[in-house]
Amino acid sequence: MKHRFDAGDRVVVLELNKAGHIRTPYYVRNHFGTILQRCGSYLNPERLAVGDVAGPVVPLYRVAFQFGELWKDYSGNPDDVLCIEIYEHWLRAANDPTAAQTN
Amino acid sequence: MPDHNHDADDHHHDHHEPLVVEDEAGNIEGQILVDALQNLLVRQNLIAPGEVRREIERIESPGVHLGAKIVARAWTDQDYKMRLLADGKSAAAELGIAVGEAQLIVVENTADTHNLVCCTLCSCYPRSILGQPPAWYISKAYRARAVREPRAVLEEFGLHIPNHVKLRVHDSNADMRYLVLPVKPTGSENLSEAELTGLVTRDCMIGTSEAAMPQA
Amino acid sequence: MRGYHDIGGNEAGPIPIVELPWLHWEKQVEAIRNLLGDGTRRIMSLDELRRGFESFGEEKYKQWSFYRRRIEAMVDVLIEKGVFTREEFEKEAELLRGRWTPPVDCE
Repeated sequence: MKHRFDAGDRVVVLELNKAGHIRTPYYVRNHFGTILQRCGSYLNPERLAVGDVAGPVVPLYRVAFQFGELWKDYSGNPDDVLCIEIYEHWLRAANDPTAAQTN
Repeated sequence: MPDHNHDADDHHHDHHEPLVVEDEAGNIEGQILVDALQNLLVRQNLIAPGEVRREIERIESPGVHLGAKIVARAWTDQDYKMRLLADGKSAAAELGIAVGEAQLIVVENTADTHNLVCCTLCSCYPRSILGQPPAWYISKAYRARAVREPRAVLEEFGLHIPNHVKLRVHDSNADMRYLVLPVKPTGSENLSEAELTGLVTRDCMIGTSEAAMPQA
Repeated sequence: MRGYHDIGGNEAGPIPIVELPWLHWEKQVEAIRNLLGDGTRRIMSLDELRRGFESFGEEKYKQWSFYRRRIEAMVDVLIEKGVFTREEFEKEAELLRGRWTPPVDCE
């Protein structure tokens, strides 16, 4: 399973406009973050939620977002970060304007 | 900010009960519903009553004591701590603690970093180690605000994080589970590992509290 | 698209810092879910359960307690999968309501 991203990469969370069960919260979509680490690959919960256990597995990453980037009026330490797990198909490289393929 | 794509007014988002707690009638109804479910499943030989009883015992057994054991070991053994931070599941297994979730990520509090764990989408929590999450952890207020104004949330728990300390909030939304490794309290230098476990509370492993020596 | 459960970042009131007991029926709900999802059965995964309470409607999501949401979602998903019908479930629940006594090992 080839990972597209590595720790330190700058990424953007896509808004895939998907219905059904998803694990990418609204508040991080369209926001810029940095890959903290790879977490391995797992079956896609969007598929598992409808009983599809066939796979493929999808790489999962921990991504860090600055609170000031998520919330315009954030008042705290500018280095405060929100760390969350994002599946690869929800991400594109920050410097790549073309949309990633949807799963 | 993009539209929420709801027909109802946005202010409905704000109108959640602080905590919905069943009254006696509600708990009786809950018992009836789960018994009805169990009866139907048993009748179809999908589960057996003995299995349910054993599974209840199994899920009752983890608790704060398991997390405290991990923390106390990390406080007293630097090499163990490094292994714990690299691979929480394997390090827990060294102590005989079986982590049922995909992976355990242990996040270390330091003099300049404080960690806080939440799950905005539901109630993900390291249950196989710590047992059940507290009611406030699964409340709508905590889920909504921990990722928006974490410092204000911590103030409500009586925890003031100085502004020079960086905050890391972890939203456990997928396959990882998180445990905060609190700072070892000053004044605890002469305590044994067993005594140290007594200083580790549930809330300091979630991040809404810090470990402290008991008041004299 | 934003589910009604997807509330990270919303405004909300003070955190209800309370401790509540974990009741027998709640443990039973969790135990049954674990068994249904285990390697010998794979009848209902945690992901399917989540889809259940994320789709049964916002009113129910706001009004019901955590474990009430879970048992209702479990029943919805099992009915959807044809494990039993709504009528069979309601009939069993009605029967139990009629002769409810506390379980023997209840606290």
